Amino acid sequence: MAAAAMSCAASLRLIPFKPTLFASSVQYPAKALILRPLKPSELPSLRRTIITFQKISTGNIRPPLASSSPSSSEDYQPIEELPPKLQEIVNLFQSVQEPRAKYRQLIFYGEHLKPLDPRFKTRENKVEGCVSQVWVRAFFDDQRNVVYEADSDSSITKGLAALLVQGLSGRPVPEILRVTPDFALLLGLQQSLSPSRNNGFLNMLKLMQKKALNLEVKGEEGSSSGESLESSFVPTPETNGGASVVDNDTEDLGAEDSDSGSNVVALGSRGMRMRERLEKELNPVELEVEDVSYQHAGHAAVRGSAGDDGETHFNLRIVSDAFQGKSLVKRHRLIYDLLQEELKNGLHALSIVAKTPAEV
Amino acid sequence: MEGVAMKLPSFKSLAPNAISIGHRSFSRVRRSSSLSVYSAASSSATVATNSESVSLGHRVRKDFRILHQEVNGSKLVYLDSAATSQKPAVVLDALQNYYEFYNSNVHRGIHYLSAKATDEFELARKKVARFINASDSKEIVFTRNATEAINLVAYSWGLLNLKPGDEVILTVAEHHSCIVPWQLVSEKTGAVLKYVMLNEDEVPDIDKLREMISPKTKLVAVHHVSNVLASCLPIEEIVVCAHNVGAKVLVDACQSVPHMVVDVQKLNADFLVASSHKMCGPTGIGFLYGRSDLLQSMPPFLGGGDMISDVFLDHSTYAEPPSRFEAGTPAIGEAIALGAAIDYLSEIGMPKIHEYEVELGKYLYGKLSALPDVRIYGPRPSESVHRGALCSFNVEGLHPTDLATFLDQQHGVAIRSGHHCAQPLHRYLGVNASARASLYFYNTKEDVDSFVVALADTVSFFNSFK
Repeated sequence: MAAAAMSCAASLRLIPFKPTLFASSVQYPAKALILRPLKPSELPSLRRTIITFQKISTGNIRPPLASSSPSSSEDYQPIEELPPKLQEIVNLFQSVQEPRAKYRQLIFYGEHLKPLDPRFKTRENKVEGCVSQVWVRAFFDDQRNVVYEADSDSSITKGLAALLVQGLSGRPVPEILRVTPDFALLLGLQQSLSPSRNNGFLNMLKLMQKKALNLEVKGEEGSSSGESLESSFVPTPETNGGASVVDNDTEDLGAEDSDSGSNVVALGSRGMRMRERLEKELNPVELEVEDVSYQHAGHAAVRGSAGDDGETHFNLRIVSDAFQGKSLVKRHRLIYDLLQEELKNGLHALSIVAKTPAEV
Repeated sequence: MEGVAMKLPSFKSLAPNAISIGHRSFSRVRRSSSLSVYSAASSSATVATNSESVSLGHRVRKDFRILHQEVNGSKLVYLDSAATSQKPAVVLDALQNYYEFYNSNVHRGIHYLSAKATDEFELARKKVARFINASDSKEIVFTRNATEAINLVAYSWGLLNLKPGDEVILTVAEHHSCIVPWQLVSEKTGAVLKYVMLNEDEVPDIDKLREMISPKTKLVAVHHVSNVLASCLPIEEIVVCAHNVGAKVLVDACQSVPHMVVDVQKLNADFLVASSHKMCGPTGIGFLYGRSDLLQSMPPFLGGGDMISDVFLDHSTYAEPPSRFEAGTPAIGEAIALGAAIDYLSEIGMPKIHEYEVELGKYLYGKLSALPDVRIYGPRPSESVHRGALCSFNVEGLHPTDLATFLDQQHGVAIRSGHHCAQPLHRYLGVNASARASLYFYNTKEDVDSFVVALADTVSFFNSFK
């Protein structure tokens, strides 16, 4: 599940999305231990930071994007993180250079979109902020993958809707929620789309994600005992859009009380491995690894999927020269890269304080 | 000559000093001399060349730097003046000038700058009054725009005068700004809204309107020129009918004041509203014209400074109109720049502008209607029917948004698509949206030609998918 801190500037440029915010610098306000199904007002919007506790696929370092993306390409969501069909579509559009040909391709997609039954053209299914009319419908197939249907009265918008439908249909909710609008830039269509059109596109994606989440919530409410979602979204109180990295230094997570390792919970094997790795690679002046998995025991992501005795959530405090000259984002990236193995095997979330000795 | 030399710095140089120094004496010269320097410049242009071959559009283009640019790789063709007009350099200079040399709060101060600002601000008011032939500048209330002006009348005059069962007559073609305030106020007062539909010429049915007017009617609020249909309503006639039953008339002149001579005394309207930004002036300023006796009788709209006489803890007394309706610090620079816009338009002459636009509008209509599958809304132009210089239209099988997007992306042509703040009208016409190309006196025949060529290309592109 993606932690996506995005702000949707109403028209023009998309703000680069920094995926290193994935589950880093997470706020765990004491009250949030009890997770509950979210009310509609809490559903993720593009103006909030969405943090989840699921496995982060840090995957690989992103390869430089081939196309005409602007300089900060390394900050965009990597193409590999997109659902496979969407990746295909992105590649296809990147291979088509000429704007008119892109349009043709887009309209072609739209023409082959399965028509939407008129009875689904309701208010709840209508995309806001579109200059033309667009409807989107979502439902689960028998494997709890989301299936989308959409329609529009305008050819270009229909094409955009078709892209999203093709790209996202048949995928599980977490994967859909992880998608950010960055890929629209990769399509190279942004130059070909007016700002208000773009707005509609972003809103389409947003509505589709919201519907996916809704399906999930309804599903969960039906089944389990009021436990949280498989994809638990907790809007963080402090961030309000923009790709801001929350600095944890002012936090009272209890990780800063003592210098001598963990306070309350003795480290299990994962914790020990992490310590070793971090010590070896970063040569820290200070290192604290605190297992706070108990704070999240009982929520769906932890349940049944953790590798080592439920060691899923940690607070890290590292003071090391290795961070010299690196931005906060880069520091976090470095740490994630070191802990890749763990992340692949059940580690869900890290809360990181990373400083140089001078900064302490 | 002097004028020509001074015009150059204002749009070539970006150094504020250069503009201001050049302009300062320029503006003084402009105000004091009766033969304006600007018209000297433009008439020398016509003398130099055969005046028939240089159309008004071509002549004035140099004053609008914004028009000389490329968008998406093509020359910009701006056909959205009904949404907002472009501003000539003199207007921009006036605004800059104000802030640079005499910015100061008005009506309150004693010092030199404040007195100067106040003078210029009140001069702008006089210019507006003269422009629409109001009998007194006190009949001009500055507002943020026409929408606010209509709200002023609705909340001030409307709340006081509308009683349950009273009727307000509108047309189905009104802009939302002349529908929603009346909805809000009729909810509060119990008044009833009645709408005039269109006749088979796609113009509001004046016969029906006449029939609708009854002793119950308290207000008739109608557009002068429709921003979608391009039709022109016979305001004088409507006023006569309304006054016969003691009803007042509010004229939404947003699409008429910028394009033709509007004489409020001749029309005999009670209220008239317009926005600066549609008439070469800046955004953020507009005005309400209200007959003196009417404004006198109206209670305040917004409360605050400037509109008061004395303020006590438990009550206040209010100023005379127009101040009574101008609470707080106004958009001073903008009002002054509006005055400059009015000067600019007056130099050219509204009759000339209107004449040019009638020609160009006919040309646009002709070329557009010649294309297959194009449906233009509003009346057909004829000897007796003059359309405004705009065309709202739809192309069979092509969504206006697709059209507008493609025109913009592939051809640099700027038109508008949507409901143009006239949803009831579109519903009545049975469409969700339409495309609209609108002209102003800085457009040329070439603009229309480019548009039509681009449109044909767009239609064929989308048709290739059928």
